[in-house]
Amino acid sequence: MVPSFAILGTFVLYPIVQSFVYSFQNVTIGGDSTWIGLQNYITLFKDQQFWNALGITLEFTIASVLVLIVVGFILALLLQGESLANRIVRSVFFFPTIVSLVTIGLVWKFLLDPSIGFVGGIFDLVGLPPVAWLTSTSLALPTVIFVNIWKNLGFAMILLLAGLKGVPQERYEAAELDGAKRGQLIRYVTIPGIRPTMLFATLILTIQSLQVFDLVFVMTDGGPIFTTDTLVNLLYRDAFVNYQTGYASAISFVLFLIIVIVSALQLRFFRYNDVD
Amino acid sequence: MNKRKLIIGAAALAATALALTGCAGTSSTSTSGPVTLAMWTGFTGGDQPGYAQIVKDFNASHPNIKVVQTVESWDTIQQKLPTAWLTGSGPDIAAPSSDPNVIANYVKTNSLLPVVTGAGSSKVNVSQLAPAAVKELTYKGKLYAIPANFATLSLYYNKKMFTAAGIANPPATVADFEADAKKLTLNGGSTQYGLSLADNQTIQMWPILQWLTGGDIVNSKGCSVLTSAANQAGLTTWANLVMNDHISPVGQTGAQADSLFSAGKAAMELNGPWAAPGYKSAGIDLGIAPVPAASDGSHVTLGSIAPLAISAKTKYPAQAQEFLAYYTAKTTQEKFSLTTGFPPLRTDMGDDAALKADPTVQVFTSQVPDARLYLPQLTNATQVDANAYVPMIGKITRGTSVASATAAATSTINSLTGCTQ
Repeated sequence: MVPSFAILGTFVLYPIVQSFVYSFQNVTIGGDSTWIGLQNYITLFKDQQFWNALGITLEFTIASVLVLIVVGFILALLLQGESLANRIVRSVFFFPTIVSLVTIGLVWKFLLDPSIGFVGGIFDLVGLPPVAWLTSTSLALPTVIFVNIWKNLGFAMILLLAGLKGVPQERYEAAELDGAKRGQLIRYVTIPGIRPTMLFATLILTIQSLQVFDLVFVMTDGGPIFTTDTLVNLLYRDAFVNYQTGYASAISFVLFLIIVIVSALQLRFFRYNDVD
Repeated sequence: MNKRKLIIGAAALAATALALTGCAGTSSTSTSGPVTLAMWTGFTGGDQPGYAQIVKDFNASHPNIKVVQTVESWDTIQQKLPTAWLTGSGPDIAAPSSDPNVIANYVKTNSLLPVVTGAGSSKVNVSQLAPAAVKELTYKGKLYAIPANFATLSLYYNKKMFTAAGIANPPATVADFEADAKKLTLNGGSTQYGLSLADNQTIQMWPILQWLTGGDIVNSKGCSVLTSAANQAGLTTWANLVMNDHISPVGQTGAQADSLFSAGKAAMELNGPWAAPGYKSAGIDLGIAPVPAASDGSHVTLGSIAPLAISAKTKYPAQAQEFLAYYTAKTTQEKFSLTTGFPPLRTDMGDDAALKADPTVQVFTSQVPDARLYLPQLTNATQVDANAYVPMIGKITRGTSVASATAAATSTINSLTGCTQ
């Protein structure tokens, strides 16, 4: 027990507590620190860049999680059989999950380059004008969301597939004896049966999306004109480029609070009508 | 008390980071054998062999000192260095980044050892270094770093494209520059751009365009001058060239701008000497010329430095100092320039026959006297860049009026620099 607590205390709890303390200070690593109370939080709530980043983070999260859960569920339903073809297609969908986000970001950034990228080349071949996927203020965020979905779709599908496999066959048989059609089976047997898995998948994907950084940093660095600037990207810039450790800590704790609230809401939502 | 807690916290984080990344940290503590100095740099481009050669030559000529250079991305160094230096687990020598005024942060946190200046083989003779670079790295009368390099931006051009367009020579004036950029743009940029301009994640090119037309970003008091008539006119001209004449793609990063030129899809680019080897190996029929003359006939370009500084916690300050002195020596700089194409750091090498004979070095060196730094010694320079300047260029090349974008940038800049007009 003691070694576990020592490791947890040193490498998890202490940095978290210390970071919380920094959020009440005007501090930079190595510099003098002064206690400024809630000033970082007050500045934060008046900071237009923070609200912009919060809005973008929420937009990114809602769009990503919604598509991932819905499409992931449909794919899981379609590919739940154990034929060779199904197993191959499942592997193909899962493959991006095991590749690092940075690699994926770099590859997609190159593919989508309107002048020298593969997608631009295809467009050129069919006579379409080049599209500025990552430098257009209206397309950059949807493009990054698309790449995030592409990367995580296999993960969502596998999680939901595991849930589907756990639904007892007897329930389907009983429902079919009662005359249930395919749609009714999904609505009244499958979905209630995989609710715990759905909760887990939604929770994990939401937390992941709220913390998105690597993909944005590599593909757009928050641009163009802050249209993809997420909270963690803003936090990174304040901490490691502008060296405003206290302010960056305040952002991280607001994000922590948002994650706690969103997670609690999701737990509440998925417990709806749950008898156990 | 707070500072102590901060140091302990930072130490724990740094220890974890270093343990996880398996990084070589500070100097060897061994008392026998040569003293080992750890050096971190972010020189990953075509100029990397030049820095490696300096280290190799220094180690060969100094049997009692061994410099070990670790090359990582600038982002990685930016994340690790402040804590590593603070806790004493960092390198003896490092190049933090080439961001404007980056050394100020480290001076503020007492992380740096002042460089010993003066005559003699173990001292850095500042009177022989580029004055703009020395000024940028001097705080309260003390020099806190030497420039690891002093790059000027020049005009790279694709000779084949110039010939095809019937243009005999690279543009000599800003008027020629604008005309050539338009003439070299084919089919609205869909087959060829006249110029490859970057405005983010790059060493800035846009200030040169402003300077060429009499504009600037801030004055000596740190107050924005973006709303001046000269700036309005210059920025409007170039924004229109990008938006209406499509001379360049909008919103490129530095890497994208380089790739476009490398791929033979743009006829011109403003870039530093580090780019030349890549363009040559990409098979570009390459020409390099000085930046065209400004509208008033004067010459100007952007100078960029990456500082090289000694940790305040090094166990071997004398040896680290010796390395910096060696770094700025004439023979070292001659070899470095010939390897990389960078101008030498020293101003007393104008007559160096070997450098004069190298056309690439010559072009970049000839512009050193006219070079201006981007946001030199400006308070919150990185924020001015990220929160005001880059968004402003982004806006004016996407249709926002120059008057409105410069007004917004002015307000942000003045609040960041604490300007009181």
